[in-house]
Amino acid sequence: MDFEFTSDQLELRDNARAVLAGACPPSLVRSVFEGNDDGGVEKLWSTLVELGWPAIGVPEADGGLGLTFVETGLVVEELARVVAPSPFLATVTQFAPFVRECGGAGSPWLAGVAAGELRGTLAQGEIAEEKDGSSYRVFGRATHVLDAATADEIVVVTRGGAFVVPAAAAKIEPMPVIDPTMPMATVTFADVRVDGDRVLVEPGDTRGRAGVERAMGEAITAMALSCVATCRVIFETTLEYAKVREQFGKPIGSFQALKHRFARMYLEVEKASALAYFAALTIAEDDPRRATAPSMAKAAANQCQRLVVTDGLQLHGGIGFTWENDLHFWLKRAKTCDFMFGGGAAHRAYLADALGLNPSAKVLQFP
Amino acid sequence: MRLRFDDSAEAFRLEFREWLAANRPSPAEMAAEPSLSTGHAPQWARDWTRKMFDEGWLVPGWPPERGGRNAGPVETIIYMEELYKARVPRTTNVQGLGIVAPSILDYGREDQIEEYAMPILRGEKTACLGMSEPDAGSDLAGLKCRAVLDGENFVINGQKVWTSGANYADFCFLFCRTDPDAPKHKGISIVLVDMNTPGITVRPLPEIIHPEHPDLNEVFLDDVVVPAANLVGELNNGWAMANGSLAHERGMVWLNNVLSDEMALDELLAEAPARLAALDSDMERAVMTDALVRLQIDTVAARCLGYRGFAKLVRGGDAPEQALMKWFATELRQTIALVGAELEGDDAVRMGEVVADGTQSVDDPQGSWLEQYFHSFANTISAGASEIQQNIIAERVLGLPRA
Repeated sequence: MDFEFTSDQLELRDNARAVLAGACPPSLVRSVFEGNDDGGVEKLWSTLVELGWPAIGVPEADGGLGLTFVETGLVVEELARVVAPSPFLATVTQFAPFVRECGGAGSPWLAGVAAGELRGTLAQGEIAEEKDGSSYRVFGRATHVLDAATADEIVVVTRGGAFVVPAAAAKIEPMPVIDPTMPMATVTFADVRVDGDRVLVEPGDTRGRAGVERAMGEAITAMALSCVATCRVIFETTLEYAKVREQFGKPIGSFQALKHRFARMYLEVEKASALAYFAALTIAEDDPRRATAPSMAKAAANQCQRLVVTDGLQLHGGIGFTWENDLHFWLKRAKTCDFMFGGGAAHRAYLADALGLNPSAKVLQFP
Repeated sequence: MRLRFDDSAEAFRLEFREWLAANRPSPAEMAAEPSLSTGHAPQWARDWTRKMFDEGWLVPGWPPERGGRNAGPVETIIYMEELYKARVPRTTNVQGLGIVAPSILDYGREDQIEEYAMPILRGEKTACLGMSEPDAGSDLAGLKCRAVLDGENFVINGQKVWTSGANYADFCFLFCRTDPDAPKHKGISIVLVDMNTPGITVRPLPEIIHPEHPDLNEVFLDDVVVPAANLVGELNNGWAMANGSLAHERGMVWLNNVLSDEMALDELLAEAPARLAALDSDMERAVMTDALVRLQIDTVAARCLGYRGFAKLVRGGDAPEQALMKWFATELRQTIALVGAELEGDDAVRMGEVVADGTQSVDDPQGSWLEQYFHSFANTISAGASEIQQNIIAERVLGLPRA
């Protein structure tokens, strides 16, 4: 196993970091937190579209760049490092993979994502479908749907199948969330009619259902990468603070009690990061371990953020507790990523089934 | 980035696997004459080391005249994995082959190489590593064992402790103080000392588990006279060489630690369903299942983290992962044993059966889960305790200021 990035991958990462330093400063994030964004979020998305980032994971045949999930992961990480308020996660790591893996190649949706003309998201929950001639009718409700309010199209995973539904056909009720850079909504489908050409997975099509699992692995891994990248910034920020903040006449980072906590944080960040890229590689190479690696990554991200958010805030002392300090943007983002697509307990329970330790194993599902 | 080694690496694996199957010492042969300590090489072990040396399999990354075949780092990983899985040691003299011989090859004169390093590689001699002292453990540079130059000889007085294999080793790679007035890192030298030199007393220190086969020893040196020509490298340059010596150990040790984690976890997961079924309630099963899953995640993480550091080392970069790996993988091995014991419930207190296959060493926990747990402290304490690794990470990797 070779865990070093290629020079192309490193160049992509460095470019992304340089661009985002200018395009997504903390002042933009603060404007979103304080509800006074004046077009900055839209401008950021335009910049990402100009750079061609939405096209990264879309196959070349659909007008995309056809790069692997590792490249997608690198961009996800860089966006997380600046707490970017952007529909990238929902569109590129949720909507697009479901379309791609569930037989949507050649559809206008992937081309739309690649061109930056279409924003999408993913809705799953208590949603049922009913056949109606050559169409279906979709009923139910999904909660915590990311970027639903600005989405054009929604992949809806129902009990039996998967569909692409125009966002305009659903009732979208934004919910107040702790990290407004990841806006969410409750999405209700009240007897929405979905035509045959919008069916991704026919109910009862088990092969199609496997595509749902594969796409879910991408969404989970992206969320894990996002969580870990956020944690790494919290760790780095706290580390720098400990080097300059003096008490008792010396930097607080010189005290062994803190040194060992930093070593432990570093270990957890490195572990979670290594597992997240392992998961990304299983997806990139379509390795059979992609069935479990995303859950390991997400469970490790959970353990990582529990420590890093706690210690990051605690070791900043009072200043980290204030609204004026920017630290809370990262703390809230790390927590949000942790809770999306299953936390540590959900993924460890899934892994217990996968390891054959649970006699009443169920299929992986995340609310 | 990619998940698999290329075809030529896998071809190398097959080649070595076949050679190993055809040439390895049999388990019966090994069990008939177990190794009694890491300084003891039974005849089968001597023959086996010699055979590997002759056929270029002893240290694959070295040139043929030193028992290798100029293999690359990836091939070396594959080689170590195959050996570990076959439960065949390259040598019973782990410190000799892993640290002492390479250090002499790096820093010794030609005649020292011929007299001390090559015999280790050919299975003719065993060596121990005289570093720790009663008052110099984690603070190794504080060592006091004194070597005074007296004409053509050093006269050595002092005490070593935790010296693996000293009870059987042919010679010692001894760290001693040659300039007591210099700053502590700058007054240390390395001397090759034949263990049958008058004035050396070895007292075995039976260990917490299986006291019948002690590997650790105290070594007392009273007016031990050693030719001055046995100095390795330059006088008072021993600390710099020590860091080089231990680097030999750290470069690949992560892999053995990870393999130990993986093999132990496989064993634990194999017995887990029956153990879980025997528990009293669903809730207890759920609690223990979670502990097992956490171990699985950490074991995969250990492998990935090891590869991440390895990728950097191969490209000639720094790999802070080495300190992380030492700390993480050895603590993980401890936790695997602990969870294994807890899963057994009250039966955990039963003594395990010792499998005398000749491969046991203080580095390789064996016996029942509870015995493995106790034994695993050998690895979280020695070669830089976990707390020292955390200091190293905090200061050298993260740049936190010294107190």
